Amino acid sequence: MLQRGKVIILDGGMGSELERLGLTGIPEELNITHAEGIKRIHRSYASADIITTNTFGLNRIKYRGKYAIKEVAEAAVANARSAGKKVFFDVGPTGAMLEPLGTLSFDEAYDAFAEIADITRDIVDGYIAETFSDVYEMKACLLALKEHAAKPVFATMTFDASARTLTGTTPETAALILGGLGADAVGANCSLGPRELFPIAERFLSCTDLPVIIQPNRGLPRVERGRTRYDLTADEFAYWCERYAEAGVSIIGGCCGTTPEFIDGIAHLGGRAVAPRQMELKTRICSASHETVIENVVICGERLNPTGKKKLKEALERGDIDYLIDEAIAQQEAGADLLDLNVGVPGIDERATLTAAVRKVQEYVDLPLQIDSSSPSAIESAARYYNGVPLINSVNGEDSVMDAVFPIAKKYGAVVLGLTMDGRGIPETAQERLEIAERIIARAEEYGIPKHKIMIDTLVVTASAQPALVKETVEALRLVRGLGVKTALGVSNVSFGLPNRGLLNKTFLTMAMTCGLNMPIMNPLDGEMSGAVRAFAVLSNTDESAERYIAAYKDYKAAAPVAAVGGKEGDKTVSTLGDCIRKGVKSRAAELTQKELERSDPMTVVNDVLIKALEDVGRQYDSGAVFLPQLVSSAEAAKIAFAVVAERLPKDAEKKVRIMLATVKGDVHDIGKNIVKVVLESYGYDVIDLGKDVPIESVTEAYKKYNPAAIGLSALMTTTVPAMEETVKALRAVGCPAEIFVGGAVLNEDVATKMGAIYTKDALEFVNKLKTLL
Amino acid sequence: MNFSEIKPRIHAYLGFGGVGIDARTDEIAEECLASLASDARFRYAYKTFSVLPAFLCGEPYAEFLRGSTEAILCVTTLGAEVDRRIKILGRTDVTKSVIYDACASAYLEQLADEYEERFGEDRTYRFCPGYGGSDIADIKYIFELLRPEVSAGVTLTAAGYMLPSKSMAGIIGIGKRAEKRCGDCMLAAHCEYRKEGGRCYNAAK
Repeated sequence: MLQRGKVIILDGGMGSELERLGLTGIPEELNITHAEGIKRIHRSYASADIITTNTFGLNRIKYRGKYAIKEVAEAAVANARSAGKKVFFDVGPTGAMLEPLGTLSFDEAYDAFAEIADITRDIVDGYIAETFSDVYEMKACLLALKEHAAKPVFATMTFDASARTLTGTTPETAALILGGLGADAVGANCSLGPRELFPIAERFLSCTDLPVIIQPNRGLPRVERGRTRYDLTADEFAYWCERYAEAGVSIIGGCCGTTPEFIDGIAHLGGRAVAPRQMELKTRICSASHETVIENVVICGERLNPTGKKKLKEALERGDIDYLIDEAIAQQEAGADLLDLNVGVPGIDERATLTAAVRKVQEYVDLPLQIDSSSPSAIESAARYYNGVPLINSVNGEDSVMDAVFPIAKKYGAVVLGLTMDGRGIPETAQERLEIAERIIARAEEYGIPKHKIMIDTLVVTASAQPALVKETVEALRLVRGLGVKTALGVSNVSFGLPNRGLLNKTFLTMAMTCGLNMPIMNPLDGEMSGAVRAFAVLSNTDESAERYIAAYKDYKAAAPVAAVGGKEGDKTVSTLGDCIRKGVKSRAAELTQKELERSDPMTVVNDVLIKALEDVGRQYDSGAVFLPQLVSSAEAAKIAFAVVAERLPKDAEKKVRIMLATVKGDVHDIGKNIVKVVLESYGYDVIDLGKDVPIESVTEAYKKYNPAAIGLSALMTTTVPAMEETVKALRAVGCPAEIFVGGAVLNEDVATKMGAIYTKDALEFVNKLKTLL
Repeated sequence: MNFSEIKPRIHAYLGFGGVGIDARTDEIAEECLASLASDARFRYAYKTFSVLPAFLCGEPYAEFLRGSTEAILCVTTLGAEVDRRIKILGRTDVTKSVIYDACASAYLEQLADEYEERFGEDRTYRFCPGYGGSDIADIKYIFELLRPEVSAGVTLTAAGYMLPSKSMAGIIGIGKRAEKRCGDCMLAAHCEYRKEGGRCYNAAK
């Protein structure tokens, strides 16, 4: 339908024309109430190749008009058809923020866009999803349009002058994610004028082989007496569009402020051959705001994997994925470039667990993820909900595995790690492993997956069992690199069964890097290993002027005593556990607790030291001698101390009192609740934290599951106090006899009493009232 | 921005009132402000109205704007990365999350105040729905008129909360001057700052 390889011209701004014609009200409804006016605008853009419908805000989340969505959509398409050109349906964002920062779920966003696709797929020629600022929402939109309508989709995001979207996505990352999801053209619109958008267009052009689409505003607007004014002339706009065409942009149109005159002025570019351009297609994976290019050597953190980790295994078995968060943050801080994520524990629902784990980890860490599973169903679901382009670990030379995984990788744009083994196991020679790699790459190509989306793992064998084969693994790296793909190895397997494993791992890592290893899968917290990677970067001249190396080691002193991480001035002066709690010195709490336990039994430490110190802090807080940050510091230090003491107590000896906390439905501010949590924990309570924006039925279900001794609810604004009342009511309705404590900025004694709850003004008062009531 | 300018506000938010802040908290606040400088993506969307939108014609807005020649509606934010940082700190370092949260609020107030200097000296402070007995849910009118979802990246939830959370929606009168005072605040009767003799908006005064 649209000729590939030729420049396509889109229409221009709708809002400015509506304003000029004096058409006010909900813009989408004008399709019905003022159809002639809308048609007139569409016809005035007839010099364009494609007309876009007046439907930017038409989705069930944003649209609050009086007509049915179907009725508006059909009228909008009919209006656009009157121009006699191809018609693309305009799809804008929902205007709501997606989870986890917002409250709209990925599935709700998907359903809203799918509804649009279902209504329009037979009456339009394509879709333009535009002005998105959250790439995750765009992912929901693209999946919905692709899965519900077999029509071309142009996808544009809106960037600010620093070339990032509001949620921190760069043009390269946007191109990677949207292109991977099957967008037929990718690019930028709105926010900036043609001059300011030019460098952003150039960045799109140099990183994707897809057609690039650009729809600038009419320059940067200024607001004059409440009205938006644009100063750029049609000639200036045409000058820039000419330059876009010369640079290789395929699809050009106008956004806010542009009028028919502007499109008439660039219509002559339509049909011109798209200018050739240079681009570099690298092996890249990304989250929404962090891209990792697989080149030189990057570190894949291996620690989100239950193999050999008893605590993580147990946590996953009881469905506790929070355990992964700290491990993920620690690896990011240690310098990992991406993180492997594997939840493979026998007997669990791997699909559900892996999906939940992906969602949880990406809330806290923006490193790209390697989705590591042997279950195609788990991989599919994880890739779907992942906010980015993941690396999938893995396929091997077996046709059945490739046939199951490659379609998933293709659909979600993922990079795939191929293992050089097949039904016969791991071949002995490097040459045979190369052959499997070639087979994997060829097979991927049949699925439309290009070589730069494939990585190869030449597989580490253990030096103790098969000493002769270690060099084959390394040699295979060299051969595989010759195919033009990047490589990976699970390095630490090499030392299994031998003493001083670290020495072997480090030496092997260096051998492998020398032969072309790009991605060791290893423990980034192991300073020797990550140090070897840093040193290799200097010695192989990929760390220019040793800049990163120097930054990492500028304070390095040989044989320096291990310093307490994050230690602050004054830490050294703390000599007893009581002092440590009173001064809130977290970094020394564990060590001083151990010391205290050498002298006293655990319960004495709790009652005579910890609680006493906390009470001192509490008194000082009440009298205004210490303040909130200090109170919280003390609580955090006491929490660490309690954890150390708990290890010394016989299991179940001292059953902790359980308290359940939640920030009520609709409320997204939870800092107060978090303070209460840490203070309660510092007093040794077992706190179940349900989080924020917690639906009423989730609170009642959790009550039944955990049977807490007391419940704490928080709400910040008057608008969510009703939700708090209903939560209290619902708890009572299911027979909950536990005391319910409420707090938050707009709460007070009267409001609390009225809803049958106990008011607490702060965390300490909560603890004090608990002590008297329980 | 000169960090020392906003410190009194941070101290007030953290409850230090007129008392001097301790060295450790101050040190962490410095770290938080440095982190904020890179985390924050400040946006400010506004429109000027010479004819007042309907919701501003009722009290207490009408009284607040009496004598103004124009009214500005604004929505401003520090962006989503700040929320993310608070969330991560809530997991790894609660003390720092509390301090960062207070710093972020003060930082946004300061950036917005600085931005508003372009509206001239004859202007009021930002009057936000919730002040002076007004309904906090009136934020929805500002959103309808401004559509800050695209321009500032701020969204409004069904329960009337703005996201990202470090965001403000307000009203400024042009052509007159007015300073903040406690009488306009919905929390005045129960205010913890006032109990200590302080003010949330300007601890120095």
